[in-house]
Amino acid sequence: MRTDTHQAPQGEGKGRTIILTVMMAVITAIMFSHGKIPQDPKEAIALIVTFLFANTLFFLLIYTGKTDRYRAVYFSTFAVALIISFISHMFEARGSMSLSEAKVLQCEVPFCHLVIPMTLVPMALTKTIIFPGSLIGGYASIASMFVLWIGATLALGRGFCSWGCFYGGLDDGFSRVLKRPVIKKINPKWIYLPFAVLLFVVLTAAAYLSPTYCTWFCPFKAVTEFEAVTSTKILIQTIIFVSLFIGLVIVLPILTKRRTQCAFLCPFGAMQSLTNKINVFDVRIDKEKCVKCKRCIQVCPTLSMSEESLEQGRPRITCMKCGKCIDNCPKGAISYHVKGTDVAGNNRAYRLLFLFAAFLFISIFSSHIIQDGIIRVLKLITTGSMIS
Amino acid sequence: MLMQGLFLGLSNGVTCVAYCTPVLIPYMLGEGKSVAQNFLALSQFLLGRLAGYLAFAFVAWLINLSVLERLGSKGLLIGALYIIFSCFLMVYAFFKTDAPCAARSIGYIAGKIKVPFLIPILAGLLSGLAFCPPFLLAMTDAASEGSLSYSLFFFFMFFIGTSIFFIPIPFVGMLRRLTALRIIGKMAAGIVGLYYLYAGIITVIAGVKGI
Repeated sequence: MRTDTHQAPQGEGKGRTIILTVMMAVITAIMFSHGKIPQDPKEAIALIVTFLFANTLFFLLIYTGKTDRYRAVYFSTFAVALIISFISHMFEARGSMSLSEAKVLQCEVPFCHLVIPMTLVPMALTKTIIFPGSLIGGYASIASMFVLWIGATLALGRGFCSWGCFYGGLDDGFSRVLKRPVIKKINPKWIYLPFAVLLFVVLTAAAYLSPTYCTWFCPFKAVTEFEAVTSTKILIQTIIFVSLFIGLVIVLPILTKRRTQCAFLCPFGAMQSLTNKINVFDVRIDKEKCVKCKRCIQVCPTLSMSEESLEQGRPRITCMKCGKCIDNCPKGAISYHVKGTDVAGNNRAYRLLFLFAAFLFISIFSSHIIQDGIIRVLKLITTGSMIS
Repeated sequence: MLMQGLFLGLSNGVTCVAYCTPVLIPYMLGEGKSVAQNFLALSQFLLGRLAGYLAFAFVAWLINLSVLERLGSKGLLIGALYIIFSCFLMVYAFFKTDAPCAARSIGYIAGKIKVPFLIPILAGLLSGLAFCPPFLLAMTDAASEGSLSYSLFFFFMFFIGTSIFFIPIPFVGMLRRLTALRIIGKMAAGIVGLYYLYAGIITVIAGVKGI
């Protein structure tokens, strides 16, 4: 192992950072506000706070050269805002977080991206979508989620899991609670489990025309919506999803400092891993610069870095492009990269290209949710209730 | 119900492929044949497997006639079998066990037999007759209905489900992923095992209520 001095990630100069931030600010100002200034003071405050929050983080991301540090702040805020916004919305619309049979029959269940893998095969076979959601219009419609998913997949591949998923910020956030992991050794074979879950849920969804993962496994039902417990079967399902939430989203991320739900369970993540193959951006390791200190292996939240990766010069297919390995590499040997170009090429330009696309996606995708989350908190402060 | 045969086959196909390719691939590589000729060998192998499965289907039907028809409530026995086999499947999935694929023994025999044409068929037949957990689950499912035609069709669907996974095998280049597929297959088998455990418990509860 060579022992050269630490080489911190290089940021851009002030001039270039300001130009890029102004560009981002113009786009986000239009997208966040939809071209009009809100009349309600709470909405105006929420818009301004969200706008400043996003663009400050973007400035720091570009200027400091640190990717994961500022991405994680935005990403976790997005997840927390979603919970506040979603639960408030559910209470306004239904009076509780539980889902009644009537709402299922009326196809009023919000659609999330985790359902997508289960809908594809039945959609191809039967030309129907096996989810009781609204196709267009309403809250979280199926069509809007598909459009977002296709766009994000083309732009980011599995980067969606670090730059778009509104659940991922939870285990990402909890994985940063402790300074050092309590559980250090994890068998890397567990990274195959999401693929097994994907195989299982795709097959069962195709066989039974039912979104199996949502019914049985989704841990995020604990903080969004769930079926009212009216039978033993639903009670078992509830125990499963609550246990998975506590275990994989809270406890294990704290103890391991890894994103355990995303790395060891999520079938959507497994499917997105496959889309990394068609995505133009990837993460590469410059073997000339790498001193095999294995810092990247220690910090990767999804075990996507291995000794084999260092030999091959690229992470595993499960890489979420979060940038943690890039931030932590003492030699600056790891970087974002555009496929088909030289690994030791213009890495700063590749980074800017990726970050602009990724940040634009998360900021636009999250803007309404973060704004709504802020409005709900302001309502709580001023009226004592988050719902209207 | 018949779709369950296909589903069970599809769920366990990766595991079947992972365990049976150590026989097929060395044979194909050893013969040094073209992809088209490898497909012919694969067809012979699958033909043998189908024969093995149909033999299983017949046994499953006999079990149903001799045991289940005399019981007042089938749910209790079928549920209990589901539980036993699902536990077996989970042990098989999560613990290191010897491959239960009977066709493994053909590796030695293959060196002795001088008729290459028979090797894939025999390998297929033996793999079809293997007493491994996915087959036992399929047998339990098939035995839960009374007719021979159901039993035969169930195993035929199971055969179709597992056979899909064999199609890429002649493209030897894809073998690099076998280790990962084997792990994924075993894990998927474990999840299927959990599903059958749940189904078994529910079936037993329903059976107890039916008595």
